[in-house]
Amino acid sequence: MIVCVAVVGHQNNPLYLQSFTEADDALKLHHVVHCSLDVIDERVNNPKRNAPALNETFLGLLYPTENYKVYGYLTNTKVKFIMVTTDLDVKDADARNFFRKFHAAYVDAVSNPFHVPGKKIASRSFGARVSTIVKSFGSGTTA
Amino acid sequence: MEDYPEELRTPPLSLVSIVGSVIQGRNTKLVVILVQTQAGDELSEDVTVALRKRAEIDSKHLVVLIERDEMEWTKSLNKSVLKLPLNLLLFYFFLKLSFALFFFMCSLEVCLITCITFCIERLTTAFAELCTTYYKDEGRRVKARIEKRNFSSVELSIRYCFKVAVYAEFRRDWPEALKFYEEGIRVLREMIGTSTRLPPTQRLVEVKAVAEQFHFKIATILLHGGKVVGAITWFRKHIRSYERVIGSSEVAFLHWEWFSRQFLVFGELIETTSTTVPDTLSPRFGTADNALTEWEFQPAYYYQLAANYLREKRYALEFSSSSVSLTEGVNGLPESVMPSVYVGQYVRLFEQGDTVAVLPLSDTEYTSYALSEAERFQDSYEIIALFRKAYESFQSLGATRMASACSGGMAIEYYAAGDFSNAKQLFDGVAGLYRQEGWATLLWENLGYLRECARKLKSLKDFIGYSLEMAALPLFSGSGQGNSENRSKNGPAGSPTISSRELIQQEVIDILERKHASENTYDEFDLHLMEESTHLDIDQISPLRIVLLASVAFHDQSVKPDSAMLVSVSLQSHLPCPVMIDKLEVQFNQSNCNFVMVSAQEDYSASNPHVQIPSLTLFTDKWMRLTHEVKPGQSGKLECLAVKATISKRLVVCCQAESPVSMEEFALWKFEDQVEALPMKDNVLAFSGQKLIQVEEPDAQVDLVLDCPGPALVGELFTVPVTIFSKGHAVHSGELKINLVDAKGGGLLMSPREAEESESHHVELLGVSAVTMENGSKEEVDSIRKIQHSFGVVSVPTLCAGDSWSCKLEIKWHQAKSVMFYVSLGYSLDSTEEAALHRLNVHRSLQIEGKIPMIVSQQFLRPFRREPLLLSRIRSSSDDDKKSSLAFNESNMLILSARNCTEVPLRLHTMTIAPNDDGKQLCSVQQISGISNEYAVIAPSEEYKGIFSVNPQTISSSFCLGEICLSWSRDSSIGESQDSRVIMKERLPEVHIEEPPLVVTMECPPYAILGIPFTFHVKIYNSTSLLQEIKYSLVDSQNFVFSGAHNHAASILPKTEHIVSHKLVPLGSGSQQLPRITVTSVRYSAALSPSASAATVFVYPSEPKFNLEKGHSATDACVS
Repeated sequence: MIVCVAVVGHQNNPLYLQSFTEADDALKLHHVVHCSLDVIDERVNNPKRNAPALNETFLGLLYPTENYKVYGYLTNTKVKFIMVTTDLDVKDADARNFFRKFHAAYVDAVSNPFHVPGKKIASRSFGARVSTIVKSFGSGTTA
Repeated sequence: MEDYPEELRTPPLSLVSIVGSVIQGRNTKLVVILVQTQAGDELSEDVTVALRKRAEIDSKHLVVLIERDEMEWTKSLNKSVLKLPLNLLLFYFFLKLSFALFFFMCSLEVCLITCITFCIERLTTAFAELCTTYYKDEGRRVKARIEKRNFSSVELSIRYCFKVAVYAEFRRDWPEALKFYEEGIRVLREMIGTSTRLPPTQRLVEVKAVAEQFHFKIATILLHGGKVVGAITWFRKHIRSYERVIGSSEVAFLHWEWFSRQFLVFGELIETTSTTVPDTLSPRFGTADNALTEWEFQPAYYYQLAANYLREKRYALEFSSSSVSLTEGVNGLPESVMPSVYVGQYVRLFEQGDTVAVLPLSDTEYTSYALSEAERFQDSYEIIALFRKAYESFQSLGATRMASACSGGMAIEYYAAGDFSNAKQLFDGVAGLYRQEGWATLLWENLGYLRECARKLKSLKDFIGYSLEMAALPLFSGSGQGNSENRSKNGPAGSPTISSRELIQQEVIDILERKHASENTYDEFDLHLMEESTHLDIDQISPLRIVLLASVAFHDQSVKPDSAMLVSVSLQSHLPCPVMIDKLEVQFNQSNCNFVMVSAQEDYSASNPHVQIPSLTLFTDKWMRLTHEVKPGQSGKLECLAVKATISKRLVVCCQAESPVSMEEFALWKFEDQVEALPMKDNVLAFSGQKLIQVEEPDAQVDLVLDCPGPALVGELFTVPVTIFSKGHAVHSGELKINLVDAKGGGLLMSPREAEESESHHVELLGVSAVTMENGSKEEVDSIRKIQHSFGVVSVPTLCAGDSWSCKLEIKWHQAKSVMFYVSLGYSLDSTEEAALHRLNVHRSLQIEGKIPMIVSQQFLRPFRREPLLLSRIRSSSDDDKKSSLAFNESNMLILSARNCTEVPLRLHTMTIAPNDDGKQLCSVQQISGISNEYAVIAPSEEYKGIFSVNPQTISSSFCLGEICLSWSRDSSIGESQDSRVIMKERLPEVHIEEPPLVVTMECPPYAILGIPFTFHVKIYNSTSLLQEIKYSLVDSQNFVFSGAHNHAASILPKTEHIVSHKLVPLGSGSQQLPRITVTSVRYSAALSPSASAATVFVYPSEPKFNLEKGHSATDACVS
């Protein structure tokens, strides 16, 4: 189950962060997402290590912490997507698929002429769309 | 052995046999060490056989130690047969060995040492083999039981697995050890749900304790084998299998403690094995290629999680303690509970008389025991230590956010432990990062703690600061509606919501206004002790900028002093509720510009002049724009420093003024999706407004007059009068700066080369002479501070309004040059120090031409009608720059003409030729005509001519005649002393002096009368010692008839003169050309003909009637 998704801007500032848990651990998820930025920095700033993955947007599992697993994704415009899940076994393909859909939703949201680039995403339709994507995660619809 | 008597040999052998019989049937082996004195001694076959037979000693287990020395100590060791448990035997052996070694070292028997070493090796091998065999046998035995499932309980099976694995470990059979450990832990995992031997809580505790042992073993083996990836993967598996096995909530703290320990131990293992990420691992961490992530190779990651789980334990313990104390109150704590001999089990000792029984515990008893044990420990400090370890490690790895999270964890623990100052310090550090990256929710939590820390530390200022910042934080859209019960997770502030922001703001206002503040609030901050107001300073980097932001812009770029201009002050606040400002004070660096605005609702009876504004209320996110008129009094920079807002009478927020042009957005609000208003209504001002303005200098009321009499003349001391008229300002500590600059640019008044060669300048400022109007004291003259060649500073005496002062600058031109002459007067209005900072300046400039006063040209002439033959002149006719040739020992004429090139008449006082030292003897120079009176006045562009006779007494190809000296002065300077005369010197060009071979002289009467014949002689003098042949010819002239040959030749003897005479009758009157005679020297092929002027005579129509003297002067005039 995905418990949290986040969009983080160029200056490592949160643009969108939504948690999907019943429990009141939104703050903890904020911490988890914030700390994961260190791993993204490490992976992005170490091009030698990631030489074969130059054009790879999917960053994979960033780190497991407590009972969460944090996955990352970096768009070409250096906007970071972060997904936190409690699933024990996450297939790479599922995670990739999720991020692909999420990216599409993000692109649509920032293409809104009323959206100012670099500002937080406040669009409700984006939120609704993200909820749908989150719900469909891991349900076998890998299409 | 042979050295010993026969009877002594037997006891050891018999001893061996006794030992052998005792150990028979047991799994014990015997090793015999024989020490021999000499190497040559062969161990007799029978002894060996006897030994092997009696004690079944293998030949490998009979070690022979050879010793040559016959010292006493060997006896004691001799033939000792030791039957000891293997470990003890080894120990004994090494004890002996060290002694022996020591001894050998003393006797320097090196060969023996090698021998001993060899024996040790043999011993080692023997023992190792024995061990391996033993453990193999034992292992095989236990393994057989497992395979046959020959055990009564699961616990036993686990025990067997552990045993086999440990034996395998002893014989370094790692794969087998690993296999059985893993098997053991698998069985153990199954046991959780099945075993009923112990009550559930204790069962879980036991299982975990055993699992911990297994896990430790496995992890150690894997790490020591270099299988880091395997170890980490194993750890993941281990954690995953146990993370949800929490047990009942009462004893959850036990689980978290245990769980935290797993991370700590694994972290320490990783740290001690100093693992690195293997190269074989795919660099694509966290993907299908490589499921691991970078941090899992870092011990810090485990420490951090260990700390997290230990904190979890603390929470669980708090919960358990409270629930137990609530439900049971003070319950009977079971006494004499202690850990059992079995891992993970606890028992109660029961004493009854002499007998001590061990009784099992019930779960309730165990729980209260565990609780009481756990409460004895201060977890906070453990957690802090773990976080600190992780923090330092992450910091060095460059993972600042992770390090901040650890730092935050530390801070929360300090807070929980009641160490608020440490907590505050750490929270402050963490808050910085969150502010910078705009993580409002995290910052909210942080500030919540900080606010409470400030409250606990009784720092009202900090409390207000943190509270206001919290209230002004943007809300993150995704943050949920938190319930206040979950404070342990969200910190003391709860979840960020609009209502909580408003509450926080209201709380601050209430504290400030002492409104319905409860008693404990008073106590918290000692409010009754602090009657004075609280000050908050907000600068450009302060986080409180979101609370109040002041943008100040002047409407103009520059302004004159004492003239009014408008300044706009805009304030913005992100606080959720409107802020009522009682008083607004705007401060400038010129304090007389400060102004105060007061809300009309407030009743201020301050003495300061202030402006009443109907309402000074700041609404959320809206700019409050105020415009005011200020009048700067002084020139220079006028800058708005700060805007002080007084809120609720006791809070003074001093906000540093910011220019709209350089105003930066605050990181936290920058990303908010909202319409941004401009601080000023005027768009231009909003984007380019400045908070500082340049106030111009007041107009100087002093006139500076430079008087230039005209162009300056080279050489003279040119004076420029400078006059200062005060038209309204008094001049204090005035200073006159004079600067001479080449008008054609280039600045310097000398060429670079000249500057190198000599210090001379083309134009030089020589001095300043002050002319005081009132009193002729000489002090002012001394006040010249500094005069350089082109720069001077002159101090000006204090002048009252209406006074004037003047001085004369003396400048000398060495070359004709046009010069820009700059004079600037700097002064202050009075002599106070303050005024000295605001100096007024008056600048004047003047271009002055430097002109050469006179151009002197010179001309050499022969004496009248006397023409020497100068051969050099004829021969080197092609030379353009030929020198003038003068005849030796002849009188030569030199005409010097001085032309006035200026526009003013000049007086020429003297014109002389100053020969140099040699020239005086070798050449006599006589002035024939010159200045008759004191001086001669030369009008502009007129010429004055002086005539000199030069009679050279030597023959020289380049002879220096000397210098022309002219002494002149301006004609206008009447009554001036001789000082004003300027001596101008010019070198005469070098001349060529030679002896003429022939000198032709024409003789002719001074005038002729029409029709009356006269004789015209041409005398040719041969000054050589050779016979000279000459030819001459006479050309007819229409005004004369003459008698004599037209062409003729003659020979002239050395040093004699030949005279050619013709009789002429003039036919016309007036100035007439005589018939032209040309004399040609055959030897030198040179022709001589007198010049046209020399061959002219004036013919009167009749006999003139004048006396002889006048006639003489007429000839003079004719010559000149």
